[in-house]
Amino acid sequence: MFEKILLPISSEFYPRNAMRRGVFLAEKFGSSIKILYIIEEKTLEKADRISDIYRTQYEKEETESNMEQEYLSVADRIVFEDAKKFFDGKGIQFDGKVIKGEFSDVIKDEIERERYDLILMGFEKGCLLHYRILENSDIPIWIESAAEGREVILAVCSNLAPNQKVPEISVELSRTLGWELRMLYVVDTQDRVEVDKTGLRSGRKSEEELMSAGKSFLEEMTRNGIKASMVKGILEKETIKAAKKIGAGLVVVGREQKKTGIMGLSFKTVKKKLVEKCNYSILFVN
Amino acid sequence: MKKKMGRDEGHSFNRWDIFSILISFLALTLFFIIPPPSGLSHNGWLMIGILVMAIILWITTPIPIAVTGLLIMVMQPLLGIEAAEDVFHSFGNQAVFFLIGVFILAAAIEKHGLHRRIALKFLSMFEKSPRMFTFGIMISSAFLSFIMPTHGVAALLLPIVASILVAMKAIPKQSNFGKVSMLAVAYGCSIGSLGTPIGGARNVLTIGILANEGIKISFFEWMKYSMPVVFIAIPTVWVILQVVFPLEVEDISEAKKEIEEQVGRMGGISRNEIIVSAILSVTVLLWVFFSSPKYMGLAVISLIGSMLLFFTGSISWEDVEKRVPWGIILLYGGAITLGVGMNDTGAGAWIANAMLDVAGNNVYLVILFLIMLTVILTNVMSNVGAVATLLPIGLGVAAGFSNISPLLSSMVVALSGGLAFMFVISTPGNAIAYSSGYFSTRDLMKAGSIVNLACIAIIFAIAVIYWRGVLGI
Repeated sequence: MFEKILLPISSEFYPRNAMRRGVFLAEKFGSSIKILYIIEEKTLEKADRISDIYRTQYEKEETESNMEQEYLSVADRIVFEDAKKFFDGKGIQFDGKVIKGEFSDVIKDEIERERYDLILMGFEKGCLLHYRILENSDIPIWIESAAEGREVILAVCSNLAPNQKVPEISVELSRTLGWELRMLYVVDTQDRVEVDKTGLRSGRKSEEELMSAGKSFLEEMTRNGIKASMVKGILEKETIKAAKKIGAGLVVVGREQKKTGIMGLSFKTVKKKLVEKCNYSILFVN
Repeated sequence: MKKKMGRDEGHSFNRWDIFSILISFLALTLFFIIPPPSGLSHNGWLMIGILVMAIILWITTPIPIAVTGLLIMVMQPLLGIEAAEDVFHSFGNQAVFFLIGVFILAAAIEKHGLHRRIALKFLSMFEKSPRMFTFGIMISSAFLSFIMPTHGVAALLLPIVASILVAMKAIPKQSNFGKVSMLAVAYGCSIGSLGTPIGGARNVLTIGILANEGIKISFFEWMKYSMPVVFIAIPTVWVILQVVFPLEVEDISEAKKEIEEQVGRMGGISRNEIIVSAILSVTVLLWVFFSSPKYMGLAVISLIGSMLLFFTGSISWEDVEKRVPWGIILLYGGAITLGVGMNDTGAGAWIANAMLDVAGNNVYLVILFLIMLTVILTNVMSNVGAVATLLPIGLGVAAGFSNISPLLSSMVVALSGGLAFMFVISTPGNAIAYSSGYFSTRDLMKAGSIVNLACIAIIFAIAVIYWRGVLGI
C-alpha cells in the first residue's frame, strides 16, 4: 500500500515524530523511505527583505551563505544522523538528499520526478510555510501530530467528497495496522451540495436530500461491516469533535470540495483548518 | 551564491503591494480634500496625511522603507507644505555624518572579524552552565550592539550560536535551549541597541530632531539616560526566557568544545584587528568624553575614527561600498524631515493634544501612553519609522505639558522604539535570529509579549524615578 514514502523536512521545522511514524509505517508496509531536507528559500528571503535597507546586498548574501552552511549542518548532524538511528537499526531502507527551494514546490517536483505512495510530514503553525502541497498533491499525505491517539481510525466521509477512496484506504489501513475503524458521515450544513464520484459539485440541495444520501451511504458501510454514524454540522468542526471524542490515532479525510469564506473566497482551506485545529494525525486521501 | 529574487531584480508588485500603495495615496488624497479640523492649519493637516501615508507604506512595505523616506521629502514641497530648501536643510544635520562614520567603523570591525573575536571571548566566559551560557549570549549581543549597529551583531552571532546548537544536537523548534539561545540573540541585540547612539538609527534620529529643537545630547549623556534601562532589562529578560522556556540541557561541554574550535580557527589576533580595536577604543573614548557641543560633537569624532581607518590601511573604499547601507541614510533623511515638518506645521502638537484629551492630565498616564503607543508601532513597522512618527508627537506632548520636558518625551519614544520583541517583521534582528529555525513565530509572540510588558514597566519606572526624579529632566 505504501511501498515508497517521501518524508519531507523543512529547515523551518523538523518533525521528529514523523520520523518515528516513518519507522512504524515502514515496518508495517515494508516501505522504503526517502528523506528530503528542504532549505527554505522563503525564510532566507524574508530575513533579507526585513533587513532591506539596514544591510547591504553583500552582507545579506554573506549571512545567507552562513545560514545555508548551518542548515546543512543541521541536516547532516541532526536529521540524517537521527534517520540512521531510527531506520538502520530496524533494517529499513532509506536515503536522503538536501534541496534548496520552497517546501511545497520541492515536494511537488519530487513526486513528479519519482513515484511515491505516501507523503509523511509534520505540521507547524508558527512558521512561514504555507503548506500549499495539501491542496496540490494527488498522492496521500499523512500529517503526523505530536499527540498520541488510541489505535482507532476515524474515516470521515461527507456530502462534500466523492467518498470513494476514504472507505477503501481506511479498511485496508485498519486491517494492516490492526486498528479499529470508525466511519463518520458529515452532512455539511454550511455548503449544501453533493459531490459526485468524479468530484463534481451538484447544485444546492435541501437538508433532507443530503440526510437521505447520507443514510444510504451508512447502510452501505454497515452492510460491509463498518461501524458508521452520521452527524450534521460543519465538516471541519464535526471531524475535530469526533476525533477528540474517540481519541483517534488517525483521521482519514477525503478530497472534499467545500467552498467557504466570503462570497466563496476561502481564506483558509478545510484541510488547513483541520491540520491546525485537530490534535491527532491526519491522512488526506486525494 | 543564490541570486536574490523579487524586488532586488527590479521586480513585479503583487496585488497586496498595489493595494497598499493605492490605499496610502488615497489616504493622503482624503487629507487633501477634507478640510482641517479647528485648531490645525491646512499644512498641518496635510502633514498628518503624509504621516498616515508613510505609516501605511512602512507597515506594508510595498516599496523599500528608504524610498518611503524619499517620498516624505518629496511630498512636502509638492503639496506646498514646506519649501524644498527647508525640507532638505533639515537633512543636513550632523547626525547624518555621525551615522556614516558609525557605519564605516562597523564595516572595518566586520571586515577583520573583530566582532567575532569579541563575541567568542564573551561566550567563553559564560561556559559554566547552560543557563549562564544563554546569559552570555545576551551579554555578548548587547555589548556588541553598543559599538556597532544591531543588525550586524545579529548576523554575526547567528552562525556562531547555530553551530554551537548543532554541536549540542539541539533540535530546531523543539529544544528550549535552542529557543532561549536564539531569542537571547534577538532580544540582546534590541536591548543593547538602546545603550549608545550607535546601536540604532532611531537613536541618531532622536539626537538629530532634538538638535533641531536646540537640545544637544552628547554620547555620554545618552548613555547616562539609557544604560540603567539596559542594565535592568538584560537580566529581567533573561529570567523571563528561562521561565517561559525552561532549559532541558544540563551538559554544556559540547558548546565549550565548539567555542574552542571556533577560537582556534580564528588564530591569533591580526595586525589589522589590533589597529581597528585601537581606533575604535580611541573613538569611543572621544565620544564619551568630548562629544558635547562645546568640544567636537558626535559627527566630527565619528569621521575622525573613519578617516584613521583609511590612513592606517585597515579599510578600503571597496569595503565601504560593500558594507555601508546607504539606504538607511535616506530613511534617516525622510524621517527627520517628517519630524521637522510635523513640528513646524503644529501637526505634532495637535495630535499630542488629542492624545492628552484621552490620557487626561496625569503625567504618569501620559508617559505610559507614549511608551505603549511606541511599543505597539515599533512592533509592526520599522523602528526608525515608529520613532519618526512619534517623536514629533512626543515633542508636542512636552509643549502642552509643563511637567514633561522635550528631552524626557523624546527619550521615552527613542528607547521604547527599540522594544520590538513580538514579531519576525518587527526588526531585522528578530528576522535574522528567526531564520535559524530554532524558534517559531508563536514562541516569539509568547516570549515577546511578556518581555514587552516587562520592558514597558522598566522604561516607565526609569522615566519616572530616574529621569524625572533623580536627573530632573
